[in-house]
Amino acid sequence: MLLKLSWKNIWRSKLRSLVVIGSIIMGIWAMIFGNGFMNGFIVSYMANSINHDISHIQVHHPEFKRDQEVKYNVESGIQKAAEIRSWNGVVGATTRTLVTGMISSPRKASGVQIRGIDTENEAEVTRLDSLIGEGTYFEEINRNPIVIGSKLAENLQVGIKSKVVLTFNDVNGTLTQVSGRIAGIIKSSSLSLGESYVFMRQEDLSRQLGIEGNIHEIAILLGPQVDPQTIVDKYKSEFKGDLVETWEEIAPQLAYMQDLYGSMLYVLMGIILTALVFGIINTMLMAVLERMKELGMLMAVGMTRIRVFLMIMIETIYLGVVGAPLGLLLGWATVNYLNHDGVDLTAYSEGLEAFGYDSILYPYVADEVYLIVTIGVFVTAFVGAIYPALKAIRLKPVEALHKI
Amino acid sequence: MSIIKALNITKTYNSTAVPVHALNGIDLEIEKGEFTAIVGPSGCGKTTLLNILGGLDHPTSGEVSLAGTNITTMQDGKLIDFRLRNIGFVFQAYNLIPVLTTQENVEFIMLLQKRPKKERDERALELLTQMGIADKASQRPSQLSGGQQQRVAVARALASKPQFILADEPTANLDSHSTSALLDIMAKMNKEEGATFVFSTHDQRVIDKARRIITLEDGQIISDETR
Ligand SMILES: Nc1ncnc2c1ncn2[C@@H]1O[C@H](COP(=O)(O)OP(=O)(O)OP(=O)(O)O)[C@@H](O)[C@H]1O
Ligand SMILES: [Mg+2]
Repeated sequence: MLLKLSWKNIWRSKLRSLVVIGSIIMGIWAMIFGNGFMNGFIVSYMANSINHDISHIQVHHPEFKRDQEVKYNVESGIQKAAEIRSWNGVVGATTRTLVTGMISSPRKASGVQIRGIDTENEAEVTRLDSLIGEGTYFEEINRNPIVIGSKLAENLQVGIKSKVVLTFNDVNGTLTQVSGRIAGIIKSSSLSLGESYVFMRQEDLSRQLGIEGNIHEIAILLGPQVDPQTIVDKYKSEFKGDLVETWEEIAPQLAYMQDLYGSMLYVLMGIILTALVFGIINTMLMAVLERMKELGMLMAVGMTRIRVFLMIMIETIYLGVVGAPLGLLLGWATVNYLNHDGVDLTAYSEGLEAFGYDSILYPYVADEVYLIVTIGVFVTAFVGAIYPALKAIRLKPVEALHKI
Repeated sequence: MSIIKALNITKTYNSTAVPVHALNGIDLEIEKGEFTAIVGPSGCGKTTLLNILGGLDHPTSGEVSLAGTNITTMQDGKLIDFRLRNIGFVFQAYNLIPVLTTQENVEFIMLLQKRPKKERDERALELLTQMGIADKASQRPSQLSGGQQQRVAVARALASKPQFILADEPTANLDSHSTSALLDIMAKMNKEEGATFVFSTHDQRVIDKARRIITLEDGQIISDETR
């Protein structure tokens, strides 16, 4: 009986109810869309970092991380990498010779990490070749071909075939200068690829460093769904003495970011639901106040306070019942549509890329978010209804009616 | 035994700057089956008295017993239930629930009393027929005339066969034709179902239809005649 009466009551003021239902729909949509968007950001950011930069696992000399000295190489690194490539679950493994130094053009200079790479295997692991936006992947230059990021090229004011000079200390601590020419320029949204790395062929760099045949880093890319820890364990049982780390250890900020974005969902929800709760209180209060006489009559003829209270509560819940599925559906449809086609943010990507984001995002929403949002909305409707409902039952029938 | 028994009722309103003594010692007994009008000039205390007799308000002093139950000290929550089971109300306005049909409005009290659907339907249709508005059963109150709306209110009050029915100026908003039609129907239900009616009015044509007329002045009964 109350259910039917409440249902009819919410349609007394159609416009007002529709406004509340509309804001519930919009609120739910915004929560789901916001979450999908944030997920799109973080997934693209993490995928970018792992697939193009840090890989799933890295191996170093235990001292290398602290000092980055040229002498701390991974023993028999090249042979180890070759063996790792044959392991199950490993997509690729590549070796790198690393040294910190400076790159200079006739106009400018910049501090960088110089990476001597195994060009073929590097392409397997980081797809570096696919990121070449201009020029070639170490081709068409005979002596010391060099690949740098577009941002760095811009800073140095250099282009393809421009001459650059690299300066660094070799294994004996002797300051060494190497000149080379730009073979290719990388187009990437990643910060490190864009301006902090300079790529050379491994043999070129190792020779100059005086450590031919030795490398500082092995980077391993795994297949999807492979737990990096199992490969780390396998590595440790096969080879002793090296430092082996998963991406979570190498870049704890990535794992951290995932958590941060997770809690941002709750902040977003908090803001939207707070706005919603005030909207609901306002609307239901109006609905109660303009029906004072009727509510007084109902209590005069024998409708108990509990029933009046429930009636107002149920009316509010109904608004949620109508709005929630529509909002969920709209949010789900938007996210799925965008997930399919991607959101192209190229127009705004200047700022985004500076932070290492891709300009095309693929929003997605985990299933449990729909549940959390739904529960959030109903709790909100419930909370928003309590005050107006209490207001209704505090009425004194005689005063509300004025006359029997 | 009297269905309504009021002993030395006084009511003072203290909410105003000067306390208003709305009722000054009312002694009153009403028997089952009466058709009684409470009359008097505006401000004499008719509404105040009916509110107290209906358990909608508490007297400042005195005692009220309804159908053998002393309600003077009953708590508000209990009083609501008491009203639901024992008293029918007809108000001057705002009687009906606008979102329900005529028939649903008539059944509303029975619904609150959790009477079975079959009984509710039969009783509602029976009453609507007696009120001459059976054809309006599925219309909303807003589609009815003022006189028809008041008849629906009377039907609702009668539906659960309460101990008595209180009506404060039920005809105040009606034209003369609807006024006499409503009074005729109330008189008919009084005769046929033995329903007890106590109503207030200052309309002479309404007063003429009453069998007992209690006249108030300044919160006191100055005459009480039965014809
Ligand atoms: N809630 C209230 N607070 C203060 N004074 C009140 C209140 N209700 C009624 N009164 C006063 O009590 C007196 C009796 O009022 P009551 O409404 O009972 O008269 P009435 O006979 O019904 O008048 P009317 O014919 O105008 O309806 C009046 O002087 C009125 O001003
Ligand atoms: Mg009055």
